[in-house]
Amino acid sequence: MQKQIASENFAALLQALIDAGTRVVGPKRVAGTLLYEPLTAPDELVLDELPRRSVKEAFFPVCEDLLTYEKQGQEVQVQDVDPARFPDTVLVGVRPCDAAAIPVLDAVFSWDYKDQFFLERRARTTIVGLACTTADDACFCTAVGLAPDEPRGADLLLTPLVGGGYLAESHSEKGEALLQTHADLFSEPGIDQPLGLAEPQTTPFDLKKIKAWLDEHFEDQAWDGIATRCVGCGACAFVCPACHCFDIVDEGTEKSGKRRKFWDACGFWKFTHHASGHNPRDFQPKRYRNRIMHKFKYYDDKFGQTLCTGCGRCVRLCPVGIDIAGVLEEIEKKAND
Amino acid sequence: MTTETIYNAVGEAIRIEAGRILSDGTVTAVVGYAAARRNGSAQPVVITKPDDAARLIFSAACVNNLAVYLTKAKKELPREGRIGIVVKGCDLKALVGLLGESQLKREELYIIGVPCAGVLGSTLQPSVELDAESIADKCRECDDRMPQGSDFVPLVELPEQPALDKKYAAEIARLEALTPAERWAYWQQQFSKCIKCYACRQVCPFCFCEQCLCDRNKPQMVEGTPRPAGNTAWHIVRAMHLAGRCAGCAECERVCPMDIPLNLLNRKMARELKELFQSEAGFEVREKGPLATFSETDDESFIK
Amino acid sequence: MCDPNKNIYLPYLATVDEVIDETPDVRTLRLVFQDEQVRDNFSFRAGQFAEYSAFGAGESTFCIASSPTRSGYIECCFRGVGRVTEALRRLEPGDTMGVRGPYGNSFPIEQFFGKNLVFVAGGIALPPLRTLIWNCLDWRDKFGEITIVYGARTEADLVYKRELAEWQQRSDVRLVKTVDPGGNGSEWDGKVGFVPTILEEAAPGAENAIALVCGPPVMIKFTLPVLEKLGFGDEAIYTTLENRMKCGLGKCGRCNVGNVYVCKDGPVFTARQVKAMPQEF
Repeated sequence: MQKQIASENFAALLQALIDAGTRVVGPKRVAGTLLYEPLTAPDELVLDELPRRSVKEAFFPVCEDLLTYEKQGQEVQVQDVDPARFPDTVLVGVRPCDAAAIPVLDAVFSWDYKDQFFLERRARTTIVGLACTTADDACFCTAVGLAPDEPRGADLLLTPLVGGGYLAESHSEKGEALLQTHADLFSEPGIDQPLGLAEPQTTPFDLKKIKAWLDEHFEDQAWDGIATRCVGCGACAFVCPACHCFDIVDEGTEKSGKRRKFWDACGFWKFTHHASGHNPRDFQPKRYRNRIMHKFKYYDDKFGQTLCTGCGRCVRLCPVGIDIAGVLEEIEKKAND
Repeated sequence: MTTETIYNAVGEAIRIEAGRILSDGTVTAVVGYAAARRNGSAQPVVITKPDDAARLIFSAACVNNLAVYLTKAKKELPREGRIGIVVKGCDLKALVGLLGESQLKREELYIIGVPCAGVLGSTLQPSVELDAESIADKCRECDDRMPQGSDFVPLVELPEQPALDKKYAAEIARLEALTPAERWAYWQQQFSKCIKCYACRQVCPFCFCEQCLCDRNKPQMVEGTPRPAGNTAWHIVRAMHLAGRCAGCAECERVCPMDIPLNLLNRKMARELKELFQSEAGFEVREKGPLATFSETDDESFIK
Repeated sequence: MCDPNKNIYLPYLATVDEVIDETPDVRTLRLVFQDEQVRDNFSFRAGQFAEYSAFGAGESTFCIASSPTRSGYIECCFRGVGRVTEALRRLEPGDTMGVRGPYGNSFPIEQFFGKNLVFVAGGIALPPLRTLIWNCLDWRDKFGEITIVYGARTEADLVYKRELAEWQQRSDVRLVKTVDPGGNGSEWDGKVGFVPTILEEAAPGAENAIALVCGPPVMIKFTLPVLEKLGFGDEAIYTTLENRMKCGLGKCGRCNVGNVYVCKDGPVFTARQVKAMPQEF
């Protein structure tokens, strides 16, 4: 269903949700940096910039507890986490490159073993997307099959209108429910035109062709040239809407503590390092190769999807200027030769 | 002469020199900067063929400290024979430090020093023009625009450095004026953004340990998870390990995806060491910094 | 972990029932689940693994080394090389540890019915095969000839020494045990030579046979050509792969070899599958 909402009504919507005790999360400045944070007031929302980290952390937090343990003599008491820790949430200001990654992540988090930490949050979260009217030359969502107004992953997608306010289109029951519950704040779409959408910044990639090259070129000299400059940090993986690797550790003392999971990255040297000292990915080009392979081949092999939404964060934030869109361009060129 | 014109001339000189030293065998490789896909962008590159010298550039987007690629942390780099490296003054200070710590041998390096009028503080948008707003905070306080002791410096004159607001000095003064509780609160808020991506460590030429202390779990010195205690400990440990060594290239701060002002910690440490031990890193090749030596004239006022 | 609403990372609690030192640095722990329901219902197939935790140190991945045919307990066998394994080594009978599992695929034992089985193992890699060996011995009449070729660097490094003696005694098992040259003591009554060499000497027939191999990479590298020479096809050779793991259930993204997740698509693979993988293990 398509409706329209004026700017002041949008603010009123957020206030109504906050007042009802719903956790409203949107782009907000924290110590100067734009991140997805719980809002206490609508005017905290900042919508003119892409948040530094993606919205995946609303479902897959940077760090979270899995259990608590406490030893008493030879016994150990293990406590599960409190199920009440997954509150009802509405995410707002979510760009298509962030929202579209969430259904992609559904596949791995429900592969045979259902990860309730992710799935329970999914069930209790409504995603209100926001279409993009500007882009920079790091954006490449259109090159990987998405668009500045792609509705995938959004329950309700807002498109900015000339003169203010938004067109609001529901794409799921949750989106529909939001429109119904706050029907007084929405009106029928009028004559206001949507603002022009952001222009594509690069030509579309032939992901099938790229994958076909990756299928055959695990061993290729090209990886040295592409990846020797990679210094092996986790910035790209952590800011990425689709990367989901994690580590599990016990923290505390031998007597009591917690088991936690937290973000990890295949770029780190110790990601695949065995206790014996053996490391199957002992040099950086092998680790970087795994990143590209996982995103553009393995995830497709396993789940039929690409693990990249073209948000461009890794391009902007890589300490050494590795440009994943540039890498894909290079691969596509090789695939064509 | 605009900075762009100057840098184009620098780039041209680098290309010619790199081509020359690769052709005549002076070096087996050159680490420099090349253009990347985005408009105005630059990225580190290692070239081994004379023809590839045409790819080398210099611009305000050439922010990387390439010295990191010569450390033992980067095993991938081919290290036979002499290696050429393009360095700005701040990068050269890192090389000086590495030479002092026996990580590099001077005769293995062919240092191409660039006359530098400053680089961008952020390359989130690399096509941004270099001006008083976009210039890196470190460049506002730079004392080393013409790298000394290089093997080659492009014959390009730099214009007089305009007086720019010294942002680090101002911010350090602001923080020093806070109460300890306020200062703690400031840093806790900054560290709360830390996600333990270790970009700061990985770009730092002095973080060359093959296995970082904080990457070990036997023993576990610092919690590895991105939580308040572990984050605070991580940044303090790193600042302490760099004290007396840090060249002030501020790469750690630039690369932090969470905009944590890490270089403030390092600059503060550097100031303390200058005051206490009259010592500054990066100017002379020396084996030990003040924290690794004991002198009878060391300040002992803290012993009560 | 059959309840879909449960926290999949929550381990079962198990009591250390017995501690057996197999070698100076390899230990077996026999575990009994504390929860009665789990004790009665826990079942697994040979080849599967579990995540074993020493609370406070973390989790580590080992195969379930006991046979699925034995009820009431499970066993794990490991070497103390890191923080978690060293913490596990500090456990004493009566202590509590965690077990998550069973995970992974398993040996397709039903496809081995009526066939001859050739087990080839080296050093600490015997446990992943030992579970299957006992499974087969407990169902002895379902299989043809059973040959076990097992070796270690030295006599002291042989694991399951008591069971080796048992297998040697049995008339329905052909055990060929060996140590590397120089690894034998004065009373050694087995062969002396590297496992691939001794395997070639023992020359088990490939006709209607399945080979199951487990060992360090260098042993696998030299054993596969011997098996090929003896006439074993790639589909008739099985192995188990090991890789750094954390979640053990296909989410943390760490254990993949190419597009194969060792924790989900493995750890049991045929030689054909292993050869099709990119060589990053």
